[in-house]
Amino acid sequence: MTAPAVAVSEPRHWRRRLSQAAPYILLAPGILWLVYFFVWPAVQMFLMSISSGTLDSGFRVTGSTTAYADALGKFQVQFGNSLLYGGTATILDFLIGFPVAYTVAFRGGRYKNLLLFLVIAPFFTSFLIRTISWKILLGDEGPLFGFLKNDLHILSTDFTVVGTPVSVIAGLTYNFLPFMILPLYVALEKIDPRLVEAANDLYAGRWEAFRRVTLPLAMPGVFAGSLLTFIPALGDYINAELLGSPKTRMIGNVIQARFLQQNDYPLAAALSFLLMAAILVAVIFYARALGTERLTG
Amino acid sequence: MTEKDARTTVDLTRDLTRRRFLQGSALAGFSAFLAACSTNGGSAAPTAAGSAVANIPTPPPASATPQASPTPVPSPTGPLHWAQWPAYIDLTGKAGDEGVYAPGSSPTLEAFKAKYKLDVDYQEKIEANEDFYATIQPQLQGGLPTGWDLITVTDWLAAKIISKGWAEKIDQGNVPNCVANLRDALKNQVWDPGQDYHYPWQSGMAGIGYNKTTLAKNGKGEPKSLADLWALPADKMTFLTEKRDSFGLGLLKLGKTADPTLTTDADLQAVHDDIKPLVDKGLRFAGNEYLQDFASKKVWAAMAWSGDLASSGSADDVWVAPAEGSLVFTDNMIIPKGAANKYTAELMMNFVYDPKIAGNIANYVYYVSPVKGAEDVLKELNKDAPLDQALLDLLFPPADVIAKQHNFQFLSDELEAKMNELYADLAGV
Repeated sequence: MTAPAVAVSEPRHWRRRLSQAAPYILLAPGILWLVYFFVWPAVQMFLMSISSGTLDSGFRVTGSTTAYADALGKFQVQFGNSLLYGGTATILDFLIGFPVAYTVAFRGGRYKNLLLFLVIAPFFTSFLIRTISWKILLGDEGPLFGFLKNDLHILSTDFTVVGTPVSVIAGLTYNFLPFMILPLYVALEKIDPRLVEAANDLYAGRWEAFRRVTLPLAMPGVFAGSLLTFIPALGDYINAELLGSPKTRMIGNVIQARFLQQNDYPLAAALSFLLMAAILVAVIFYARALGTERLTG
Repeated sequence: MTEKDARTTVDLTRDLTRRRFLQGSALAGFSAFLAACSTNGGSAAPTAAGSAVANIPTPPPASATPQASPTPVPSPTGPLHWAQWPAYIDLTGKAGDEGVYAPGSSPTLEAFKAKYKLDVDYQEKIEANEDFYATIQPQLQGGLPTGWDLITVTDWLAAKIISKGWAEKIDQGNVPNCVANLRDALKNQVWDPGQDYHYPWQSGMAGIGYNKTTLAKNGKGEPKSLADLWALPADKMTFLTEKRDSFGLGLLKLGKTADPTLTTDADLQAVHDDIKPLVDKGLRFAGNEYLQDFASKKVWAAMAWSGDLASSGSADDVWVAPAEGSLVFTDNMIIPKGAANKYTAELMMNFVYDPKIAGNIANYVYYVSPVKGAEDVLKELNKDAPLDQALLDLLFPPADVIAKQHNFQFLSDELEAKMNELYADLAGV
């Protein structure tokens, strides 16, 4: 009597198991990806940061904290520069990017796609080439300052921008602008214009409607855009390398130099870890401040 | 840099320490070589380099590989991957004007391609020895191919790579031109006495480069000495990322000798303290990219390598040997271990040691050719419009310049560690 019952329940049982496992199976590629390309390297990096030794003799995990002490003790200036330049560039990107995204989203009409393409078009060129071009554009005798100096005589001849924080921030702002514009655009584009009309009907002026309707609804875009800009800008070293001077070095330059020139892997790993930790803390505070849980639902 | 970092650097080169020994011939050879180049410039004067203790690594002990055994003639394979410094071979047309290689722009490479019917992947990848070394060191360490068949690196790095056994042994049977035409003064380097692993590419000097028009426009005189250079606006200058050159010239500026055997940590510290105020006023460090800064008028003056500005700069760009003295170096061709096209690399070495080819190269790069007979070819090439004296002085330095040349290549591990630490502070990393 029991035999047929078993025969029926076995596949059912199996199917239920499968349906329970389905989410995990579907997630598996992503999880494996993260484990292999994020968790594993992060663990390796952490172990390296508490190692000592040399490249030739090999590094051994000794639990030494010298690297962290060095990293915290000697590079405050570079950490400070990173925060200052990355932060300023993010704010500038927001100030430039918001009007652009707003215009494309609400006034773009049938040119929306074309305008978006124009935002991205310069970025088909290599990051490096674009940054080197800034060196020429901002050059002392470049098209802008050369003209202001030699033809209009507005600037004194020893005026210079390349090598100062201004040019580093300009480079960062330019290079990461699309990362601000695109998320902002996506957020703004989703806003139903009738909500703004409704606000107007309820006696909200243009500014009031913007402040109380458009901006709050765009917050997920602001959040995403500022993170996508700030995080890479914080760790960037190309701009500071090409457009800066020894005085404008960012923490990325130190990590690069310690990894590739001095071969001091433990210190470089410790610096990378501290940078990651700092970013994580900053993001948590930022998310709290903006109340993103509510925004992203 | 902390004590620990310094220790790292010391350990990195500890292989070299063991092999350090008394020597003087390499330095003397250098000076003699440059003296030999100045046969038209008067008698050679004695140089600052005398007998000295220096940290010169030696090649690995003779391995089981038999010496130039008669091997069946292999057929050339390609493409030949060659890592080179910018504007360091004859270039024509637009590439020649801009000093940036583009495929098809170098007659020498085109002739090589036509002769052996294979392609050359020539890349101007080297702007500073250390940065380039960092890109190949992990592979060499791991016993993997670097992707390059031929690299051009300066004395100290060439010696380091060879001493670690990371260079392919050159089959002398494949390079008869090199054997016949290498200038005597460049032979018998302690780190590779039998030319088993290297042949020189070009020699040159580190000194002062400036743009005379920009300086005049801004009411500045032309720097003739390192002291003059230091007095120019720091944010209009670059020094070299090649630390040996920046610190070596810094020593000369302070009136100290740039001699690895006499220089002390305190001397290097003094150089650091002398340069630091300039950094605070905006001084930057550059490799070969100072050429772009000259082109964009971003720099008015710089520590520069002889030949660069003459070959790739504008007519207003000048290189001078500083009154205090200059530094000499040789860049060398090496076949890194595991090169896929070793035989082709040897063919290339042989090819560029043909005096005709070497003369053509010298006629563009304005560095000192290591090839006997290149000088005659060069003169023949310019017989209708003789080169002006300033250029000839770069190719065949006059006696008074040679008398004040220094070799600051082979530093002891301790000195190198100190220099690295001081440089890291100057460079803000």
